[in-house]
Amino acid sequence: MNELWPTTDLDPVRRLHALAAGIRGAHVTEAHVDAPFERVWSLLGDLEGGFGQVVTDMERLRVVRRQGERVEALARSRYGMRARLRGVQRPGWCWLQSRFLLIGVAATPEGPGTRVAFTGGVRLPPRAALIPLGVRREGDRNVQRLTALL
Amino acid sequence: MPDERPDDRTVRLVRCAQRGDTLAMAELLDLLAPFVVRVCTPIALDQGPDAAQEALVAVFKSLRTLKKPAALHGWVRAIAVREAVRTAHRAARTVSADLSALPARGDPQLGADIRDVLARLSPEHRAVLMLRDLEGLDERTAAALLGVRTGTVKSRLHRARDTFRKAWTS
Repeated sequence: MNELWPTTDLDPVRRLHALAAGIRGAHVTEAHVDAPFERVWSLLGDLEGGFGQVVTDMERLRVVRRQGERVEALARSRYGMRARLRGVQRPGWCWLQSRFLLIGVAATPEGPGTRVAFTGGVRLPPRAALIPLGVRREGDRNVQRLTALL
Repeated sequence: MPDERPDDRTVRLVRCAQRGDTLAMAELLDLLAPFVVRVCTPIALDQGPDAAQEALVAVFKSLRTLKKPAALHGWVRAIAVREAVRTAHRAARTVSADLSALPARGDPQLGADIRDVLARLSPEHRAVLMLRDLEGLDERTAAALLGVRTGTVKSRLHRARDTFRKAWTS
């Protein structure tokens, strides 16, 4: 009778908080935007288009491989470093990591609008840590850019 | 790694995550989230998502301290139960336990109303039920996880089910 026990799902924004908790220096910026999830994710899910207009940690992002949810992309970070990003992308979720860069984006429907969350920054390999400078400000800017595009 | 056994995969992911690989952490999250939700929701009920999030935050914050990666699920289960009970208490939704309302294992008629029945119990009683009937732990393991004596778990369950059965058939 296991299927009779109450259960639920954990939305991507909650998952992003959990994951960021394990990364020293990471900050999660969360906001509600007045646009339906489909509209928001049509932007954020377009890695070579709208995604780069919102998350400006890197420039000229180009997807070089995609297998199911797994994705690999080349980009140049705004700090000048070339980055080979690897990660997972699915509706409402994008988690990309290169040697020196981390980008996490999550979105989930919230009423008629959407709750979005961003995390990421410059990694401090080999630890699960980010340089804690500017991560909060960058998250706020991501939200502002996203809102302006919607 | 398509031929990898699930246990081997878990151990590999934990080790990679402990070394700072955030992709391994994300993969572990996918693996653990349904499990944590399944443990937390019967205890924390409407606060299930909050409890599951808090549990996963605690898991990832302290993942580096896990010495035996093969013991991941037991370690996570203990954290999830603790956070679910704590969240349920914090929400101040606790109603004093009515032991006569505990459901008997495997009774489909009772299963239909299981959420209503659970809502009448304390978080601690929901935790015992979840560990025994959903997770299938024996009394000894459930008692160790909850920090109570085996006899306490055993007698509570026995008395509760016996009382319930009488109430149901009267």
